[in-house]
Amino acid sequence: MKKIAFSIAKSRTKFLLLLFVVELIVLSLISPYFFSINNLVQVTQFGAALTLLSLGEALVMIAGRDGIDISVGSAMSLSGVLFGLAVMNGCNILTATVITLIGGILLGTVNGLLVAAAKVPALIATLGTQYIYGSLALYLTGGIPISGFPDSFKVLSLESTFGIPNQILFVVVPVTILVFILVYKMKFGRRVYLLGTNPEAAKYTGIRERRIRMCVYMLAGLLAAISAIINNSWLMTARADAGSGMEMQAITVAVLGGIGVAGGVGHLGGVLIGVIIITMMNSGLQIANVNSIWQLATLGFILIIAIILNRMMERFVANVEKSRK
Amino acid sequence: MLKKYVPKPGRREYVTFLLLVLEIILFGILAPNFLTVDNLIRVIQNNAEIAMVSIGMTIVMLLGGIDLSVGSVMGVIAIVIGYMLQADMNIFLIIIAAIVIGVGVGFLNGFLIAKFDIPDMIVTIATMNIWKAVIFALLGGKWLTGLNPSYAVITRAKVLGIPLLLILIVIVYAIFYYFLMYRRFGRHIYATGCNPQAANLSGINVKRVKLVSYCISGGIAAVAAMLYIARMGSVEMTIGSDLAIACIAAVTIGGTGAKGNGKRGSVIGTLAGVLFIAFLKNGIVILGIPSLLENCFIGLLIVLSVLFDALTAGKTSKKSKAKGVAE
Repeated sequence: MKKIAFSIAKSRTKFLLLLFVVELIVLSLISPYFFSINNLVQVTQFGAALTLLSLGEALVMIAGRDGIDISVGSAMSLSGVLFGLAVMNGCNILTATVITLIGGILLGTVNGLLVAAAKVPALIATLGTQYIYGSLALYLTGGIPISGFPDSFKVLSLESTFGIPNQILFVVVPVTILVFILVYKMKFGRRVYLLGTNPEAAKYTGIRERRIRMCVYMLAGLLAAISAIINNSWLMTARADAGSGMEMQAITVAVLGGIGVAGGVGHLGGVLIGVIIITMMNSGLQIANVNSIWQLATLGFILIIAIILNRMMERFVANVEKSRK
Repeated sequence: MLKKYVPKPGRREYVTFLLLVLEIILFGILAPNFLTVDNLIRVIQNNAEIAMVSIGMTIVMLLGGIDLSVGSVMGVIAIVIGYMLQADMNIFLIIIAAIVIGVGVGFLNGFLIAKFDIPDMIVTIATMNIWKAVIFALLGGKWLTGLNPSYAVITRAKVLGIPLLLILIVIVYAIFYYFLMYRRFGRHIYATGCNPQAANLSGINVKRVKLVSYCISGGIAAVAAMLYIARMGSVEMTIGSDLAIACIAAVTIGGTGAKGNGKRGSVIGTLAGVLFIAFLKNGIVILGIPSLLENCFIGLLIVLSVLFDALTAGKTSKKSKAKGVAE
């Protein structure tokens, strides 16, 4: 028994999978509709935007120096509004997509310049840019959602192929694979991790901290822009508040997935399981007809409990290893 | 004799005051009805809560932390006050209850942060959302209206033509200035923010300092809730949703940095920051700039002031290094 507990405490993935199973059991007890394959697959579309945002957020946190990006939500809103405005002004969907992606990278660059080049604390810098991006999105739309996208735009998020929602199959899965290759199969990822664990050592190995950190924030901006396009197609409108509150969810998912706030710790795979757990919970609560504000509160509880569990498991692992010696 | 070290406000705070004066002159020239007594009183009334809560935020940020939950905490307390007023309870009982709840909520934040060593931001984001849900549960989509506490007179009264509220705010700031500069506990806060390990080794109970600071922050949120009720006479669902960020903006513009340069800053700078943002918001409205852009200006100000701090911090450290070499 103790052996099993130890192996679960030591491996984040096992712990998350256990949590996932418990959640599935609880939710299917609450509602009999929940546990059908069709529903389980359809639920994934609610997590499309969140997956991309949390991958970006997790990378920013892994890169260390108290890295955090509170502006991802507003960046998503603003790039979504950019997309809407581009389409309204006569661009076709493809040009609008390119404009939006470039816009997202630029928004990330501003954060990167502040944090990496000017060495401003990430929390305050991105808090400031969150204000700026959110307010610009509101100003550009005048507070009114932009609608009237061509009908063909529905293909991206409102239709499915082989029973799997299109945005998951054609956007989220490929992008996630690309991010994983970038982080776990290329130099870039090693450098990001080293920056998080030991910036001093990174400096002496000749890693250009400024450039890598900048790239991380740009990547977060790019992922926010992609999720904005998915979201636009899903709602068929571009709203100035599309991403509000998303940064909170992204941070929660990253922390639940085992990403250390101090940097250098955690695996993106844990983040993916975290997204699934949170998305399942949200839709489960919706099926059980619980108001959305309670979802936020549950998120808050999960966040605190996840971190306390983190600490306790660390202590447990350390104790067991000590007694073995 | 050893000279006592007092973390007096530095040049950075005076820069904010200078900016404040420049701003007032600028708006005074551009908008003729900006520099009227009525307008100034309105500005102070509208920003009383921000002024109060910013004190707590300054203390927490001096420690290198942050408290994002103040807005929702203020909301919860305001609703409790509202219900107690509707039940015609004794006013002193209400005030005591409000402050007890505020300190208790702050204690919860501080306990999680100090005991479990969880990052401040994560804890307060989580509690912020939990209290938001509590606000929703308490109100259930309704509004609380027609609240008129007997102490509301304070917010409208004038002494010798000066609004009593302004005098009150200045007194509270003076108390906290004295507390932070000249009391032992206040300087423990600076020491902990500067270097927690060193503070711990020199016999300061770092965990207790953190715990008490968050309690103070919660207690001040309770005072802000009382002012809110007195000013608005009603409570709605979105209460306090922007408060935390407004306070962080004020504190940052006032020169207290988060993380890394916790040792700098004082409540005096925060007061300047609060007034700066208050007049800016007012000026934007008077000049007819679209109010949707208001947050954009505040965000820009936050970014510019941390940028300024970061750039000047780099310079001074280089200077002191050069000095060290020369010596």
